[in-house]
Amino acid sequence: MIEIRGLRKSYGEVEVLKGANLDVAEGEVVTLIGRSGCGKTTLLRCIDLLEEYDEGEIKLDGKLLWYTSAADGSRQRLSEPVIRQMRQRMGIVFQQYNLFPHMTALENVCLGPEFSQKISTRESNEFGRELLARVGLADKVLAYPFQLSGGQQQRVAIARALAMRPRVLLLDEITSALDPELVAEVEDVIRSLLSEGIMMVLVTHAIGFAREISNKIAYVSEGRISEIGPPADVLDRSQDPTLKEFLRRLR
Amino acid sequence: MTSTLWILTQGAAVSLFLAFVGAIGGTAFALLLNVAAFSKIGLLRGFYHTYIYFARGIPLLVQALLIFYALPAFGILIGPLTAGGLVLTLYIGAMFAEVFRGGVLAIPRTLWDSTRSLGLPPASVLRKVVVPLVLRYTLPSYINVCVLTIKASSVLSVISVWELTLAAREIVERTLDVFPVMIAASCFYFVMCFSIDRLGRHVEHRLALKGFSGERP
Repeated sequence: MIEIRGLRKSYGEVEVLKGANLDVAEGEVVTLIGRSGCGKTTLLRCIDLLEEYDEGEIKLDGKLLWYTSAADGSRQRLSEPVIRQMRQRMGIVFQQYNLFPHMTALENVCLGPEFSQKISTRESNEFGRELLARVGLADKVLAYPFQLSGGQQQRVAIARALAMRPRVLLLDEITSALDPELVAEVEDVIRSLLSEGIMMVLVTHAIGFAREISNKIAYVSEGRISEIGPPADVLDRSQDPTLKEFLRRLR
Repeated sequence: MTSTLWILTQGAAVSLFLAFVGAIGGTAFALLLNVAAFSKIGLLRGFYHTYIYFARGIPLLVQALLIFYALPAFGILIGPLTAGGLVLTLYIGAMFAEVFRGGVLAIPRTLWDSTRSLGLPPASVLRKVVVPLVLRYTLPSYINVCVLTIKASSVLSVISVWELTLAAREIVERTLDVFPVMIAASCFYFVMCFSIDRLGRHVEHRLALKGFSGERP
């Protein structure tokens, strides 16, 4: 499980996160929604320390991530090797896929297992092929990203994130850059992962999809989670006028 | 006439050798310089930029004279050929260093995010991501500097390095046949530069086939 407490983050003068709290229970899927600029992507990236945060703490399975308190109470960033170890327990998928353009689908997927986790080439190749088959790309193993459609690239990116056998999957607007007809194939892959019981935190504007797969939906507003609960509660029965307005505009 | 061509061929061989030394030495030096350029230590970054300013801001001709006449003053006695190789390495190293630095800066932030999220150790990031990408990004500029190296080697004639330009001048002084000899020398330079260009294109094409998006037909 993940526990996030009092996360604060500023870019210069602008405070993006103003004490965000979030819990993700074992096997739970939590979706962050909110206006653009509300801090939901920043919050997601903080979980993987792709953004540094100024205050607060993040725990995975009860263990404090990224920072530790020094003897004098000040906060200290953990050493790079430790941070790398921790990052291997999470997988993140980005809006723009971010595949390595000079590597085949398989090489992209195997990079983490082979070089971060020091799994043998043969073994990681086998696992990589298995994962690519699972996202429906068994015949694209040797294709380079430029030979793949956006939807296919994003499925490779999902396989790459899964290749680390992560405890948590972070999905940052993974269908936002896709042509409408390619969205379904990526969403199907995410659906197929639900039975695995892997924790997921996602940021999305696809409210219908969020409603369908999420255990909880969190409405992020002004750097905090202002409302969180089961999809029906947040999406249909909320009293918050800004949330109602936000949802109305999305429809 | 045949002896003239033979002498020019020998001169061209020396030029090619110097350019080779400059390109290999310069590449190694440039890699070292880039360690400084991307160092966490501010002093090293400062050194890098200062060095680049000097290497680019002083004409190669002046640099060559400076090094050739300054070294003996410090008790370092080296022949013109060694000095020539050193001058080229120092100068071309700065050019390559800026090419490489530009290549590293061209790696999009999104790909750094990918390497970080996978928890890749720095050595693997360098070997599997940075080097292959920078190679592809910078190859055209790299070849450009290689061609420049051939031409820059002609400057070394002022510090009495016997290469193609000096060989041609010697023949001209002896025979006073300015045009035929200089045209012949030009042809030698052209062929050398052209060959490097073609070789570069070939390598570029080979690498581009390995899945680089963007510049494919």
